[in-house]
Amino acid sequence: MSEQRGWPPAAANNPRVNLVPIPLLEAIRNDDKTWEKLAPHYGVTNPDPPWKVSLYATCECLAVGEALPLLERRRAEDRLGQTLYRGTPAPEQQLLALAHIMLSRGLLNEEELARRMNIVRSRLDTS
Amino acid sequence: MSSADTGNAPARFTVGDRVRVKDLPNLFYTRTQMYVRGLTGTIAARTYVDLIPEDEAWNRDDAQGEQFYIVRFRQKDLWEGYPFHNDTLQSEFPDRWLEPVSE
Amino acid sequence: MRQSHEHDGSHEHPAAPMVDEITDFEVLEIAVRELAIEKGLFTAEDHRRFTEWAEQIGPAAGSRLVAKAWTDPAFKARLLADATAACREVDVDWSEPTGSGTASDYMNLRVLEDTPTLHHVIVCTLCSCYPRPLLGHSPYWYRSPNYRRRLIRWPRQVLMEFGLNLPPEVEVRVEDSNQKCRFIVLPVRPAGTENWTEEQLAEIITRDCVIGVALPRPDRKADDVLPVHKARRPVRSEHD
Repeated sequence: MSEQRGWPPAAANNPRVNLVPIPLLEAIRNDDKTWEKLAPHYGVTNPDPPWKVSLYATCECLAVGEALPLLERRRAEDRLGQTLYRGTPAPEQQLLALAHIMLSRGLLNEEELARRMNIVRSRLDTS
Repeated sequence: MSSADTGNAPARFTVGDRVRVKDLPNLFYTRTQMYVRGLTGTIAARTYVDLIPEDEAWNRDDAQGEQFYIVRFRQKDLWEGYPFHNDTLQSEFPDRWLEPVSE
Repeated sequence: MRQSHEHDGSHEHPAAPMVDEITDFEVLEIAVRELAIEKGLFTAEDHRRFTEWAEQIGPAAGSRLVAKAWTDPAFKARLLADATAACREVDVDWSEPTGSGTASDYMNLRVLEDTPTLHHVIVCTLCSCYPRPLLGHSPYWYRSPNYRRRLIRWPRQVLMEFGLNLPPEVEVRVEDSNQKCRFIVLPVRPAGTENWTEEQLAEIITRDCVIGVALPRPDRKADDVLPVHKARRPVRSEHD
């Protein structure tokens, strides 16, 4: 099938998102403890994990504050969703993509994110 | 996007006008899709006056708002060999992305 | 920790099931948010406000809006004249939660009125913009590159995958919402619903009908759950 002009619909002038895998996120992805797998195991029928709405709010706040504009995030999400995080169900895919984008753009660094995850995990474990 | 390119009046078109989508140089925040560049449609509606996405993204307070429009295209004009004669597609563009067409 | 609900009396309420483990994803979401707040990318207050807003949006308002338009001609006229304002009559305020809307919904709703010879369907090829104040969060398929790329080019094939087959003389009009307008479809009221109440009508006006990938039917009160469709014709990534 020949390429037609303007097909597929391309966002103009896409800067490349960094597609180098990030070890911290790769580990989370490979562990694959997604809601889609776990919820039926526990008999939970809610289709969404409880943190989904909070993730949406984070994306919204980042756009409003201009740290991560909407169009930029969506383009990177599309790209990452078709490459590094392909096959991971939404919203885990969206969460991994967000973390990836923020790390790539230097809004966070991997070491502090890993450290914070450990702190959060022990906090939740003891509650 | 040159700031000297302000030759367009804020709202040149009315419903029913035939317009062509320009193929301006792309900027990252451009919201004018590639698939309509250079194609002709009809003004279906005037929507609102606002900053163009490019200016808004760069916080250009000196930028003037311009009229946005919904433009309707025939699908047969967008895609070669599109088989359904009546089908259409609409999308939205600011004034500066459109130019008049006389037919 | 499981919660148990002890009740006096005869009713026994089983504990609501929960996913009883803390996943890396749950931890990651919190960690990202806390770090972002500490770095001043946004405030906890803003996040709380958006979370509350995001929790209360859903498709019921969109259904009520269409049902009202079907049964009240004066309301329909107001809706077509100024859709954003008319939403307040179904308790939807597009200025929430900031007073000037959100960074992706804005305040410019437009209604696409179907007729027997004109069928609208909505997409956002650039980023999946969606009328969230009226319909809640967009379904995953709406956000997928698969839908966004294919609907504008092969709308009838995509609609067929949703079970909607329109005759060639009907104009299929795709609306690509690439700027600040947000759209909903006002479908044609189906036959067989004469004398129905607004509530009864709202039940058959599903989210998919208001996006335009389904037609309301007197016998259908829920959107079909779609299997994941792989694109039959693989398309080159738009990002190459």
